[in-house]
Amino acid sequence: MNVTGIPLKEPEVSAAAGATEQLERAYIDASTRVPVLMFYTSAMAWLILGTLLAGFVSFKLHEPDLLSNISFLTWGRVRPAHMNMMVYGWASMAGMGTAIWLMARLCRTMLRYPLLLVAAAGFWNLGVLLGVGGIFLGDSTGYQWLEFPGYAAIILFVAYTLVASWAVLMFRYRRGEQIYITQWYLLGAFLWFPWLYAAAQLMLFVVPVQGVLQSAVGWWYANNLLFLWFGAIALGTAYYMIPKVIGRPVYSYHLATIGFWTYALFSSWTGMQRLVDGPFPAWMITASIAAMILSMIPVATVGLNHHMTMRGYFPLMRYSPTLRFTVFGAMSYTVFSVVGLLISLRSVARYVNFSQTSIAYSHLGLYAFFTMVIFGAMYYIVPRLVGREWRYASLIKLHFWASAYGIGLMTLMLLAGGFLQGADMENPSLPFSETVETVLPYLRGRSLAGILLTAAHFIFAYHFGLMLLGLGRTSTVPTFLNPVEAETSGGH
Amino acid sequence: MKGLAPLFLGIFGTFAFSWVGMTVIPNWQIGHLSPQSDEEGTDIYPQPQSGMFQRGARVFAANGCAYCHSQQVRPEYAGADIERGWGNRRSAPRDYIFERPVFLAKMRMGQDIANVGARAPAEQQSPPPAGAASPAASPGGATSPAASAAPRSAAPPAAPVTQGAAVSSPPATQQSASPSAAGSPVTAVATSAAASPASSAPKGSPSPAPPTGVASPSPGAMANASPGATTAPSSGPQVVGPPWPEQTIGEPPMYSVAWHHVHLYSPRSINLDSNMPAYRFLYEKRRIRDQRSAEALKLTGSDAPPEGWEVIPSYDAKCLVAYLMALNQSHPLNEVRSAGAAPTASVAPSPAAAAGSPPPSPAPAK
Repeated sequence: MNVTGIPLKEPEVSAAAGATEQLERAYIDASTRVPVLMFYTSAMAWLILGTLLAGFVSFKLHEPDLLSNISFLTWGRVRPAHMNMMVYGWASMAGMGTAIWLMARLCRTMLRYPLLLVAAAGFWNLGVLLGVGGIFLGDSTGYQWLEFPGYAAIILFVAYTLVASWAVLMFRYRRGEQIYITQWYLLGAFLWFPWLYAAAQLMLFVVPVQGVLQSAVGWWYANNLLFLWFGAIALGTAYYMIPKVIGRPVYSYHLATIGFWTYALFSSWTGMQRLVDGPFPAWMITASIAAMILSMIPVATVGLNHHMTMRGYFPLMRYSPTLRFTVFGAMSYTVFSVVGLLISLRSVARYVNFSQTSIAYSHLGLYAFFTMVIFGAMYYIVPRLVGREWRYASLIKLHFWASAYGIGLMTLMLLAGGFLQGADMENPSLPFSETVETVLPYLRGRSLAGILLTAAHFIFAYHFGLMLLGLGRTSTVPTFLNPVEAETSGGH
Repeated sequence: MKGLAPLFLGIFGTFAFSWVGMTVIPNWQIGHLSPQSDEEGTDIYPQPQSGMFQRGARVFAANGCAYCHSQQVRPEYAGADIERGWGNRRSAPRDYIFERPVFLAKMRMGQDIANVGARAPAEQQSPPPAGAASPAASPGGATSPAASAAPRSAAPPAAPVTQGAAVSSPPATQQSASPSAAGSPVTAVATSAAASPASSAPKGSPSPAPPTGVASPSPGAMANASPGATTAPSSGPQVVGPPWPEQTIGEPPMYSVAWHHVHLYSPRSINLDSNMPAYRFLYEKRRIRDQRSAEALKLTGSDAPPEGWEVIPSYDAKCLVAYLMALNQSHPLNEVRSAGAAPTASVAPSPAAAAGSPPPSPAPAK
């Protein structure tokens, strides 16, 4: 197994590290095999199920009579089922799998207490299953992103406590004084999520707050989940994968510090901008908009850092699947933040606030940014767990392009449709049904994009399945997307 | 970065800062609002909701209605919500203090429904003016299928007659053309169970001009009250007009209980352009036993059940409609300026007091 996984050039960092270090990494990777693969396999299953539901949701939105007479297939139940499946089934589990592997690597210690993680994965799956089942049966709580009924939420929380306590334990066993940037983000994610989840559950269901504050808590939770949980994992992963693959240290540690703390400070105050002009004290919304603007500081620093690290190495994206997905995701972080800022400014928000743009925004964050980074990480990590290399470079390429074009088309469709829908809505001389008519063609376009994404996910799932079954290539060279000069041994 | 302690403290600190700033302080500021009342303590708004309302809210949540229908009216300067007639003033935190869950929502693939209950026709509570009364409005006629089918057959069921632009729709046409379900005992029961006292006018009052028509400048009252019942000052300055033009002749009056049921069962029978899914699983198709149920939906065309069958709402459907009928933020709030200052000033005679029933005491918590 090729442990360094650095294509094309000799690593500068690990050149000094001898064979012992490589052996040590191989041992650490082996110790993470069972728990991480368990998280990854579950995540893949949820991804496929969630994708099928997504297609269903998308088509039903412009074909309202499609299977509408069955209570559990009504649009209003399939939509939250899809969303929660993706958020808690796919994204959270894939994120946790990646974070676990990164933690073990960066703490430079064998994974301890694997049973804790195996139990957590089991409980987490049970929680998602019960939650989605509850939504289908009509037990949804009605709070966006928190639709899972109480019996599912408590199981998720227990499962998560296991993961978080494992992470803290791992930190105690870490070797070396230096805590790498990725570990800041991961430790943050591991601790922020349970606090967030507990706070939201307490304030909504245990000691419920009054009236509109429920919505405030709900959106505070949803946005922080996006930033402090998914965003933190994805940024941490990018900080690991980019330098690792190109074999070059991060451009500036100092910038990374600024980026991390401003990210934690500012992005955690966002959320209320999604309720702009709603029935709230104006300062709450203004504070969130200000936080969105200030969030440009971490965006700029993180973006600059990644860019400077990558400078001169961009051609490597031609070869490394990990790098290609990760850089796409890292760039999408900037796009996601800029779009998020634009649609929260009051003058724009009055047009787009109740339109499809917010769906575009969520997909930019959860898919173009988070999911693409995690795909990249999985292309890096899975070969190190199963001891095989990815079998077909062509499938990886297909996956990338279908995903990239799919999410690009989807975002464009929803943004454009949303802006037109919002503009029509602001024109009271147009009957309301016109505003819906306006957006329908774009929703059909979105369904088309959904087909691309579905294809991408099935290709990836097939490839992943081959790896799980041990059908990958036996090679010491990672699978490059394009044959590298002088060594044309690549897949196919 | 070295050492775990500063990292941990920073991570905790940023979270705590956000939690306190975004949830705890707002909770301290607007988390303990009470209903407002006038000097005599009579005109209390908002009021605790009925059990049917609560259950209807759960049906609303279970079926994800909030993913398309928002329940918040933005202020005049921030959107066309008020111009669209979705409300006569912006929503305020106090409007929601008895609601759980709160469905503010932020998607409008369907209309905003913060005030859908206020749009219910006035004849839900009192008989329509004599000129507009159709034969079907007599108690016996409303329940008989033959009588209610008669006016409908006059209009081709497949051809919806839309009223065109929102501003120019004459309310009288709608009223006289509809086989008004007003007299139906079902609607009367559901309304009394669900409607908040603010909107319920004295029942059985023979007066053709119920206080609601004047007191609440709600668009519903504007759209549905006959011109004679509405006084000039309140109709004059408001150019709002009925904002929901798609009305098929031969259906129950818009936003009445019967209309909601037909709309939920078959949205495109009412508005061809509707993008709303049907919720037929909330309804039961059954064989007519000895007499057609008073609750049975008045369906036309391909939606109509075969001869000898009828479609009746389940209890969940009735709760959902009761919930919708109670969504009403037209009552003025002291902290919010209502659109059109004149009608606000004339609100003094409170409908609750006029009804003669003591208003329920505002429960501090549910």
